[in-house]
Amino acid sequence: MKKTKVKILSSLLLLLLMIGLTGKSTKVLADAPYKTYTIDGYGDTIETQTAYLPYGSINKIGDEFMKSPTDFTILDDGCMYILDSGNKRVLVSDMEGNFIASFGEDLFVKPRGMYVSKDHICYVADRDAKSIFVFDENYKLIHTYTRPTEALYGETQDFLPIKIVANDAGTMYVVCESNTNGIVEISPVDDGTFLGYFGTNSTNATLWTIIWRAILTDAQRAKMIGNIPATPDNLAIDDKGIIYTVTRGEGSESLKRLNIAGSNMIEPDRCDDVPAAVAVGNHDNVYVVSQMGYIYKYNNEGELLFVFGGSDDGLQRIGLTVKAIAIQVDKNDKVYVLDEDKAEILIYETTEFANNLHKALFLFSKGRYLESEEPLRDVLKMNNLFDYANMAMGRTLYKQELYEEALHYARLAKDMSGYSDSFWEIRNTWLKSNLATVIVIIIVVWAVLKILGYLDRRLRIFEKPRKVLSKLLDLKYIKQVRYMFFFMKHPIDGCYGIKRQGMVSVTSANIVLALGIIFYIINKYFSGFLIKGTTVKEGNYDIFYDAGTILIGLVLIVGCNYLMCTINDGEGKLKSIYCSFIYSFAPYLVITPVIFALSHVVTNNEIFFIEFGRLFMWTWVAILVFVSIREINNFKVSETFKIIGLTIFTILIACLLAFIVYVLWAQVIDFIQAICGEVVYKIGN
Amino acid sequence: MEIKRLKKPLCFILMLVMCLGISFENGTGVSAQVKTEGDIKVAKNVYSSDTLPEINGHNVVAENDRFVLYMLEDDLSVIVLDKETGAYMESSPSYDDEKNNKTWTAAMKSALVLTMINKSTDTKQADLINDQVTKKITYTNTGFEAVIYWTKYKFGMTLKVNLTEDGLTAFIPDESIIEDGTDYYIGTISIYPFMGTSYLDQKEGYMFIPDGNGAIIYLDNKEGRFNSGYSTLIYGDDIGFTESTTANLLWDRYETLNETNKILAPIYGLAHTDDKLAFLAIIENGAERASIEARPNGISVDYNRVYAKFIERKIYTQPTSNNTSSGSLHLTEESRSHSDLKIRYIFLNGDDANYCGMATAYRDYLLENGSLVKGLDNSFRTRVDFMGTERENWLLGTKAVVMTTTEDIKEIFADLESLGVKDILSVYKGWQSGGLLNLPIAKYKADSKIGGTKELTALIKDAEEKGIKLYLYNNALVINPDEHSSTFSAVKKVNKKKYEEATYKDVYDKLMYLIPAKSETTLEKFVKSYTKSGVKNLCVAGVSNTLFSYFNSGNFYTRFDSKNVYDELTATVSEKTSLVLEQPFEYLWSDTEAFLDMPVYVSNFVYEDDSVPFLSIVLKGVMPVYGEYINFEANKSEYFLKLIETGIFPSFYITKKSSSELIYTNSADIYSSEYSVYRDTIKSYYDELKKVSDLTEGAFICGHEIEEGGLRVITYTNGVKIYINYGLQTVTKDDLKIGSMSYKVVK
Repeated sequence: MKKTKVKILSSLLLLLLMIGLTGKSTKVLADAPYKTYTIDGYGDTIETQTAYLPYGSINKIGDEFMKSPTDFTILDDGCMYILDSGNKRVLVSDMEGNFIASFGEDLFVKPRGMYVSKDHICYVADRDAKSIFVFDENYKLIHTYTRPTEALYGETQDFLPIKIVANDAGTMYVVCESNTNGIVEISPVDDGTFLGYFGTNSTNATLWTIIWRAILTDAQRAKMIGNIPATPDNLAIDDKGIIYTVTRGEGSESLKRLNIAGSNMIEPDRCDDVPAAVAVGNHDNVYVVSQMGYIYKYNNEGELLFVFGGSDDGLQRIGLTVKAIAIQVDKNDKVYVLDEDKAEILIYETTEFANNLHKALFLFSKGRYLESEEPLRDVLKMNNLFDYANMAMGRTLYKQELYEEALHYARLAKDMSGYSDSFWEIRNTWLKSNLATVIVIIIVVWAVLKILGYLDRRLRIFEKPRKVLSKLLDLKYIKQVRYMFFFMKHPIDGCYGIKRQGMVSVTSANIVLALGIIFYIINKYFSGFLIKGTTVKEGNYDIFYDAGTILIGLVLIVGCNYLMCTINDGEGKLKSIYCSFIYSFAPYLVITPVIFALSHVVTNNEIFFIEFGRLFMWTWVAILVFVSIREINNFKVSETFKIIGLTIFTILIACLLAFIVYVLWAQVIDFIQAICGEVVYKIGN
Repeated sequence: MEIKRLKKPLCFILMLVMCLGISFENGTGVSAQVKTEGDIKVAKNVYSSDTLPEINGHNVVAENDRFVLYMLEDDLSVIVLDKETGAYMESSPSYDDEKNNKTWTAAMKSALVLTMINKSTDTKQADLINDQVTKKITYTNTGFEAVIYWTKYKFGMTLKVNLTEDGLTAFIPDESIIEDGTDYYIGTISIYPFMGTSYLDQKEGYMFIPDGNGAIIYLDNKEGRFNSGYSTLIYGDDIGFTESTTANLLWDRYETLNETNKILAPIYGLAHTDDKLAFLAIIENGAERASIEARPNGISVDYNRVYAKFIERKIYTQPTSNNTSSGSLHLTEESRSHSDLKIRYIFLNGDDANYCGMATAYRDYLLENGSLVKGLDNSFRTRVDFMGTERENWLLGTKAVVMTTTEDIKEIFADLESLGVKDILSVYKGWQSGGLLNLPIAKYKADSKIGGTKELTALIKDAEEKGIKLYLYNNALVINPDEHSSTFSAVKKVNKKKYEEATYKDVYDKLMYLIPAKSETTLEKFVKSYTKSGVKNLCVAGVSNTLFSYFNSGNFYTRFDSKNVYDELTATVSEKTSLVLEQPFEYLWSDTEAFLDMPVYVSNFVYEDDSVPFLSIVLKGVMPVYGEYINFEANKSEYFLKLIETGIFPSFYITKKSSSELIYTNSADIYSSEYSVYRDTIKSYYDELKKVSDLTEGAFICGHEIEEGGLRVITYTNGVKIYINYGLQTVTKDDLKIGSMSYKVVK
């Protein structure tokens, strides 16, 4: 009898265990169903190793199912509070999903947000009860805060709390629905003192809104959407009491780290459009989950390390969400995401790769460069395109005075300042060891030239080559092209030459144009790495696009300018307008090679030379263009300004026209295609 | 004591026995089991041949040495009873929880469940209960034949069910499927969709689905947690029907979900471990266009079921303009797919009634009908693949990015040899003139940057002498429209639009598929010019694991057509070359010398309870199996244990140069591959795995158990046992202590 009892008991136990395993928290051992991305130095997205793997899920607390949970908090002592909004209660459990307590059943109306402090003080933001309920560690209600009565709060302002955090002093930061003034800051003193608004989002005025505002009436202006700052969607607080907020549709300000004064201290390099929640992990890493279930991990400077996760495409795969609503991180870097639709907490754990990276970046951020080299090398072994590791590696090697290697990593990571520093050092070393040689070479060359000049004067040894050269230079087109040197120095005479003396031809202008395009392309793609910056990406070549843009621009400008000149009694013919316009770019052809050469030797410290060179060049070109329009058409200065204005206007009109024609034609063609297509298939079937 | 406990049930049995007048053959008495299942009671008897009791209204129609087949004429549902144990499996659940509507009740009972296409809807159900059906049933020696006709919908077919030595076959001949009407067409056909069904957790056991290497779903109570189950097309999705969806893209551009695993073999299974009865179902005909469906309880109804669904016709979207928003029609395929539909159920009992038994049965089945051949070299090799050249944008065109030359490979081989790594299988990718994506390859012409054709030939020959097998990689499926004219050779979907696969990369933004006939001619041309040079090691990809419907010059072609072409192609190529295939589908297994890219994991569906090395058990000892590249595994130690568990050989993707060189190429997702980084890993994996593999060489896996605490025990036919602990704690088993994340081998 006993034996059977034991058997039954053990099988019961097994059954319980099985239920425990399958019902509440499941651990999986598998590959991730999602890809993990990171971004490179150009801000482009690249795939990387899985950083976080789905570890399991909790869909039941004890025997209790959740219903539309909206918020949860994980405490360091292994306690988890879940705001089970659909069932209007708070569930308390351990990390395995075993039931500890539940409370608030009779109190809540529509709770939306919750925060639990380290000492288990639980704050619940109930939207429809228009109250904040505070419970102590024994789950007893100790306080209820309602709408602040202070005038500063706003007379007509309702109090609809949806998310809440509190700092160590008990000061509450509350996000209220439809309150656009910012986060409501309430002190527990005197049963709730309204301290003011905090971390208000900004509105940004574009040129258009400024113009609109000038036109609209006051009433209309007040209705403009852009006038109203967005309400944050969610917030989090770290150990130091620093508040993080997420707001949808705010671009790079979607994620903010607010200091005590409420000003933003972080600028993330990539944000989601619809963030749902934010959490702060170890080493001030910031985690944001979007409603779609993408989990973003930033380091403390706001640099995006990983994006992973995603929304379930209906295939029900582990680690994907339907509607993510809250995120938490525990002390072991495990990430927990609450899914409102699935009523489930998904757990993700770090992989070997992410662990290595964390270790390396932690050491690096603490300035322990020597120590960080080893883990960094491990990370780069696993993924040698991981941008942030490359950057850190470059900096580390720079500190170790291994400049050549540092340069390589900085270039991979597109770390401009790191690259500049290493380059400076390398150049410095080169100069130190080669300066003497260079000076000697210069002196020798100078001496040789002097001697040759002397010999030439005496013995005329260069008579023949000089003749050949001058013959060559006198060839028709070469001579015409060479005219640009004269033109850029003497634009008024130059224009006369073009207009009256036939010093240039359309062919020679075309040659100059072709040279200009070639110079432009070479300069764009083969300049020094620092000068190319992050705008011209390495490995990307759009030559047809470049040449096309230049040619279309040229046709538009010259064409429109000609039209305007003719109707304004200008004397210029199309040919001379075209030629003078092209020749006005002579400074570009002369100065670009110098800039190009310089771009290979300068660092960020001397980049001024290049910028100045460019400014000088473009000013010169502008003056030449102006002078040639005036001279070719025989305008007065005021007339010239007028013509330039008109030309710009005409160009805009021409663009608009082209756009309209394009759109209309696209519609017509699409329509005809659709009809034909449908007829064909109908007949075909 | 025992008797006391069994008193009640025994009384019940006695009554039953008396009623039926059964005389027991075994004088020693009966070890009868009675199981209480909810409020119904089922008695299971040791079967004796003189008595043929009916079960739940089903009558005996056939029997052989091992099984009895019962059938109910109303709905043609069957029961297969195992004579040895008396346990049985039914195709329609005998227990009714009375929660199901008419449609579901009919679906559960009916032998055939069809969906129909009527205008633009394709979800309406046709079955044998709710619809007007004429049935003509003929009994044969081994089963029955039923000619079925739906009078309202005007279509019909013949179902032939036969009891065989090892189980049961259900068969619908192609020519018997008739469609007379013009309003209703057959969309899908499911044969015995509830075969082996059980209610909630009334039975212990699991369903086996061929996801990844193999996955099981336990028959426990799922408490309604899932709202959809496993539904995957055998042999991968059909690109001929895929609509270009743009949902779920990160930042509107990046695909964030990994593709689910393709079904590599047309099988599924179900085991009742408490009854020690299981079946493995093999789809013998019609698998090219069928899906495996598995639904744990709680999805629509509370019954567990796993079955195959044959697709006859589909509705597709026909856009009428290039602009997708401006108009489209919903059309039905003109003709149905033509193929016999046949499922073979192999029943297993006793110690074989589990997934390991299923895998063994499947291996025997494949060996018997020649889909697998014995006598391949099964010795351990590590796979070290190389990339030759890739392309990056440069001014007007592209320029080569040279990653590994023939000279480099020679050096790497020599270096590996000096480390003691001698047994190598190697696939050389991107060897062809123009780089990795200069596809298709019609001629044996190596890129001059890697050393040229002569050097490459010499390298293959030299390697062969050293015992290294170096295969040239040829993706015979893909055409790169930027390098080759795709006008007449690229695949069009059934809606007559070209199929384009977006790469989301900078150099080549899209790739297309070759029409199977073109694949055939180009590959054969290549083989001709390749074998002329005296070498013949070839690795073929693409055509080995892709099937699709397509449209070409006025005709529609089905997956059956593309399968036939590819099947024939690999057969002829395998005769002329020494051929290995990348992740081949089951029908190509007889043509390949090795299986490359075997999945180790499953697709992570929430309803999957455990992964099992099913395909590994099938293939281990028959064919060498190589895994996917280790480079991209984030958890290397776990992956290593998986290799030990599954007996899969390791694979590395290696380049001489740093993979950061690939940053501006289409292979930018290869973020780690440099030889110097992997040199030591290759050696350590080689040493450890070779040791284990040598112990098990030539043996099959005959046992695989999943134990508490993340422990798995694998038994080989030569007696070797491997214990693997994936858990966080040390586990003791059979007096062995196996530490966390480690393994032990016992001979």
